[in-house]
Amino acid sequence: MRSNRGSIRNRFRRKKLNEGFELQLTSLMDALVIILIFLLKNFSASSVQFSTVNGIQLPNSVGRDIPPQSLQVIVTPEGMTFENERIVDFVQTAQTLEDGSSGYKLKKTDLDEGGARIIPLYDALMKAKEKSELLRSKSMARDEKGQPLPFEGILAIQADKRIEYDTLRKIMYTSGAAGYRVFRFLAQSKDGG
Amino acid sequence: MHRPSARRNSLQKPVELNLVPILDSLVTLIAFLMMTMSLVNLVSVETPFPMVSSEQNQKLVDEKPLQLTLSFQENAVEIWSPFAKIQPLKIADSEPGKPDLAKIHAFLVDVKKKFPSETKIVLVPTPTTNYDVIVSIMDSVRILDATDAAIFSKNPKTGLDEQTKTLFPEIVFGNLLGDS
Repeated sequence: MRSNRGSIRNRFRRKKLNEGFELQLTSLMDALVIILIFLLKNFSASSVQFSTVNGIQLPNSVGRDIPPQSLQVIVTPEGMTFENERIVDFVQTAQTLEDGSSGYKLKKTDLDEGGARIIPLYDALMKAKEKSELLRSKSMARDEKGQPLPFEGILAIQADKRIEYDTLRKIMYTSGAAGYRVFRFLAQSKDGG
Repeated sequence: MHRPSARRNSLQKPVELNLVPILDSLVTLIAFLMMTMSLVNLVSVETPFPMVSSEQNQKLVDEKPLQLTLSFQENAVEIWSPFAKIQPLKIADSEPGKPDLAKIHAFLVDVKKKFPSETKIVLVPTPTTNYDVIVSIMDSVRILDATDAAIFSKNPKTGLDEQTKTLFPEIVFGNLLGDS
């Protein structure tokens, strides 16, 4: 009798051990699906991505045009960067260093043509244009007449929203002088992101 | 001896879905999307560099087009046409340094109704005009809102009237080359 009772208890214990520990995955799945839907909604199919810089406040726009790949000049309160290379430093005063603002003032030595053209930017743009034309001349892609494809001359401008038109005009004038005919102002979408 | 029914025992066991492979694929997908996702959603506003030619200037003088111009002034914005095609309008800023975008847009919608095939506008900001203000003005002169009245223009290719989706999308800066 005793041996029988003992064997039933043992069987019960063995069964309990065999059941194992089961994690409740349903709630985790719910959370993951919600995250997945959110990410898919915000996912952009475009492969072109312009990197943004710390310390730059982009203007907001209701436009929906995704900027295609092009050369890019970034204007921060400290200076100008063209294709990830710092080319111009703005004049910094004690006040601008203190409050972190910028007057976007250019050095006189960086300007010519009556203060309208930014020399380092012009040089960098010309260099990039020559490089692009050289690559196009070696490329197999040709137009209808068998000539190399012409230089597109598109420049994306990523500038801080506090910049004044005077500085922007100098950038556009310099770019126009270097053969860039279309400007794309990069802005942050108002819809989100 | 009483023996528990084997059938009842097997029925009590619930059917469990194996969620582990689904979970694996979900985690992989999320990791991929997070890697490729950009936190800042960038858009672009395009403007061409103004081209100047004496031949084109002569053509403009002969044709006398609308040449809609939006000039920034101190605490106001003026919308006018050099060939007096529209009655000029001065719109005071809603706040210092902030143009009244709603009024500007409403006036431009009226102009578009009169000149539905016109797509160009010339902006003439002052040297101190803020970049943020320029982009917001560019938005209000380019895009027709969903709440705006429908405007129809004749498609030159088909000869049919089609609803216009934009206001004045071709924006040129008028004082890039000269003094302002």
